[in-house]
Amino acid sequence: MSTSSQMPIRIGVLYSESGVTSAVERTQQRATVLAVEEINAAGGVLGREIALVYRDPASNPSRYAALTEALIVEKSVRLLMGCYMSSARKAVIPVVERHNALLFYGTPYEGFEYSRNVIYSGAAPNQNALPIAEYMLSRFGSRVAMVGSDYVCPYESNRVMSDLIFERGGTKVSETYLPLHADWNTYRDIARRIKAQSPDFIFSTVVGDGIPLLYQAFASAGLDPYRTPIAGHMTSEVEVALMGNDVAEGHISCAAYFQSIDSVENRRVVQKYQNRYGSDAMTNMCWEAAYFQTHLLALAIRRAGSDDPTLLMQVLPGLEFDAPQGRVRLDEANNHTYLRPRIGRVNASGQFDIIASAPDLVRADPYVVSHGTPAWATFNEPVTPARMAAGGKS
Amino acid sequence: MNARTPQSSLKDLRSLKVALIHPQDQDGDELLAQLARIGCSTQVFWPDAEILPDDCGLVLLAVRPETLSIHYPWIGTANAPPIIPIVTFENPITIEAVLLLNAFAPIASPVRAFGLLTAIAVALNQHKFRRSRERYIERLERKSADQRTIHQATSILVKNRGVSENDAYQLLRSQAMSKRESIESIAAQIVRAQAALSF
Repeated sequence: MSTSSQMPIRIGVLYSESGVTSAVERTQQRATVLAVEEINAAGGVLGREIALVYRDPASNPSRYAALTEALIVEKSVRLLMGCYMSSARKAVIPVVERHNALLFYGTPYEGFEYSRNVIYSGAAPNQNALPIAEYMLSRFGSRVAMVGSDYVCPYESNRVMSDLIFERGGTKVSETYLPLHADWNTYRDIARRIKAQSPDFIFSTVVGDGIPLLYQAFASAGLDPYRTPIAGHMTSEVEVALMGNDVAEGHISCAAYFQSIDSVENRRVVQKYQNRYGSDAMTNMCWEAAYFQTHLLALAIRRAGSDDPTLLMQVLPGLEFDAPQGRVRLDEANNHTYLRPRIGRVNASGQFDIIASAPDLVRADPYVVSHGTPAWATFNEPVTPARMAAGGKS
Repeated sequence: MNARTPQSSLKDLRSLKVALIHPQDQDGDELLAQLARIGCSTQVFWPDAEILPDDCGLVLLAVRPETLSIHYPWIGTANAPPIIPIVTFENPITIEAVLLLNAFAPIASPVRAFGLLTAIAVALNQHKFRRSRERYIERLERKSADQRTIHQATSILVKNRGVSENDAYQLLRSQAMSKRESIESIAAQIVRAQAALSF
């Protein structure tokens, strides 16, 4: 196969290498690189190599939009991977719609969106906020303290949580929103205040650099994670590594992917990733979404016989791929992804022990207002038998 | 305003029946697909829609040259659902047609998926609000008419019986109680009787 005679297929990559959410975004960028190296090693697509064009938006929403426009206009890029926070995605959408480009967005978000020019490969609230809310409320009790970063996604997650608390006659002991750049003192004060409220658990929707601070603040306030865990669907292996395993152990997260998933495919990809980026390189839910969405794009280009976004949009719906989390599928109608939500509890080595899993793929329902209860999340099995006797209320 | 009221109409969206009066074109496809994502069930009509389905809770109507001349008999009736106009032109004639629909939230063509949910929420909520305000005004009007009648009846009694206004009212009241009728109805009878006598 001759790849040299053909122009490479250029994909723009917009993951921040600096700024408040760069820790996760850097892993998304590396996942994209890994996937593209795999694709190119297998001969590329349509006899062409994939070439990544990197730009660093530095966690600044307006820079995402400006860099997207520049990639499209100056580099003739029509396919893009990237964005993390919703503010960045919202800023990029008008640009990709105007130029009919295609953005692959591999991060969980708050739902209530559809753009024909965006593929959403991260979880919608019914795939993460809903199961973890149900899991925690049915296990630990319904006196809940909520703390989140002050932007759109935490508000929507907390709305879902509040509804479920309300349905059970539980209590929201506090609902606090902190600026993205809140400092240690702020987190320390919040942790002390929440500890004094003695909730059954803490629901965290803090993102970025604030996550390690939040967990560290609760550790220093003397909170026992096995008795009163922090539950979150934004907290992954990346933040666990930043906060320290001793701080993280016992806390609970929900995601479609954990590094600890015991499958041939996951072990293979993680091994490859660590060969490439070092044996201590960790993966996470956003990493996985970034990885499989790149492969889905390659698959779509092969199927369409073209890298033209209009043709790709025709073949992407319904497309399936064996991702590290298991087989995933793009929805036929809403550009979101069928995923496999799991609930994990951090163990002493900083990995998640998976304590509940959806039995099947769960369809993303980005426009659902009133959530039903996912039966699998209430599944009644001891979390960690030795310690649950003290903490669980099931 | 009650903070939970607007959300409750959002929560009913999954049982909302929508009539989409729109040709099958790019806008029509986009609307139909987005309504499905939102979770409403939709019935398509074009261009005629003489009768709406019984449980129809919302109409999306393409306001176009083809529909300008059509008379939809249900528009403006007491139980008509709210209408979201889909607007392709901004000339005075089209705008005039939109205004006749008593609509709250028009959607501009070319249609984008984004914005429809907010338009639906605003339309349903404002429609509900307008309905309850209309009912409130009806009640007020009825009440004020009743007050007027009672006032006329007491004046008649004051004049004919030489009693004070307060006593006249007490007379009306005891009469109403003994006949097991409302004060308003007794008052109306007196006013009618007086009118019958004054020729």
